[in-house]
Amino acid sequence: MTGRAMSATVITPLGAQIRRDIALGWRGRGQALVMLGFFLIIITLFPLATGPDAAQLRPIAIPVIWIAAMLASLAGFTRIFADDVRCGWVDQVALSPLPLALYALAKAVVHWALTALPMLVATPLMGLMLYLEPAGMPALLLALALGTMALTLLGLIGAALTEGARGGNGLLAVLVLPLAVPVLIFGVLASTPADGGIVTPHLMLLGAVLLVLLALAPLVAAMALAEAEAETGA
Amino acid sequence: MVTGTRQNHENAPLAPTTGLVIDGVVLVRGMRVIQPALSHVIAPGRMSLLTGPNGSGKSTLLRAIAGRLRPIAGSISCAAPILYVGHADGLAASLSGRRNLGDWAGLNGLPVDAPGDAPGDAGMIDTALASFAAGPFADLPVRMLSRGQRRRLALARLALSPERALWLLDEPAAGLDRAAQADLDRLITAHLDRGGMVLAATHTPLGSGHDHDELALEAHP
Repeated sequence: MTGRAMSATVITPLGAQIRRDIALGWRGRGQALVMLGFFLIIITLFPLATGPDAAQLRPIAIPVIWIAAMLASLAGFTRIFADDVRCGWVDQVALSPLPLALYALAKAVVHWALTALPMLVATPLMGLMLYLEPAGMPALLLALALGTMALTLLGLIGAALTEGARGGNGLLAVLVLPLAVPVLIFGVLASTPADGGIVTPHLMLLGAVLLVLLALAPLVAAMALAEAEAETGA
Repeated sequence: MVTGTRQNHENAPLAPTTGLVIDGVVLVRGMRVIQPALSHVIAPGRMSLLTGPNGSGKSTLLRAIAGRLRPIAGSISCAAPILYVGHADGLAASLSGRRNLGDWAGLNGLPVDAPGDAPGDAGMIDTALASFAAGPFADLPVRMLSRGQRRRLALARLALSPERALWLLDEPAAGLDRAAQADLDRLITAHLDRGGMVLAATHTPLGSGHDHDELALEAHP
């Protein structure tokens, strides 16, 4: 089979999978709203706890936004594959022309668009509340966009690995959060460029982490899903 | 009620294929061996009914043939493309039956023609739905359907993808009413006539008009 024919046989199934995920995500948009609400509430708690003092809030604004994004994202990862495994859709994907790795990648892309993108949109408003300089916003948004993509890919691995494991939710947090430390470190540093330029070495390192995860996460998830099974009986 | 024109390729003979050969397969569940050595052959045009008490590994064997779990020993070989209707229906509860079936067709790269392309010509999905009389409830979310109705939607895949030679059916008749059982029977008979293969875990006789083999699993406590 030539490369062109091969890609043609994969693109139709991939498009069908992405359209299905968007439809499912739209019908389950309550969950994305809960995650957005979680993100907003975590950030709002800080001015309430420290008092509305710009001198106190401004230095912690960026770390607070990053940690809120991480925790809110974490809340949504368990759902990435859960329904598809339970209802037997993954069995059908495994027997289709669509490789499981591309299926997992489609899941990650749609999950990011439906959950992280709303957080990014809300970030400027949250920054305002924490006395963040508007001039620093583009750097924060860019770093946060790359960072949430990397987090989603880590969540993809965690979600696939914990699929079928009882009490997978807690396991997922323990699995994903330590791996997310580099993303957090480079992300916060990339969000506060010292010399005013947006593209800093930290942003490039964050991008490198993202690219490594982009190559590895779908493959690891596919391996974990290869024998994932709906719980029968019981 | 949607009446579909039957697609021509549904009755055409399948491309010649090799049979399914199960050779010395060992199945485990958890850390327990549930089948120590299974061997069985299904030739093109033949059906085998998989029987045995609960827990004897019927679903596990079907999953192993479908490639969804690796047997710890033995080999399973089959060059034919597989259509698996498992214990789970593979339907998203929040989407309609029509949408689910369309997604499945798209996932498998099937040319989904929209209904109404030509007067009196139903689309591929409508034809498949009609084969299980699933048209009337095809636009409701699957969440609102009964077990038997979901089963009919899952089985409509059999009519949608006729070129897959080996059908693996896990309790296909569970929850089906008499009319739907007859629909299933008709599809299986047509599939066997075309040289297809069927392995079905069932206690209900299927595919009347064709004799069948039996693969009886014993319980290994």
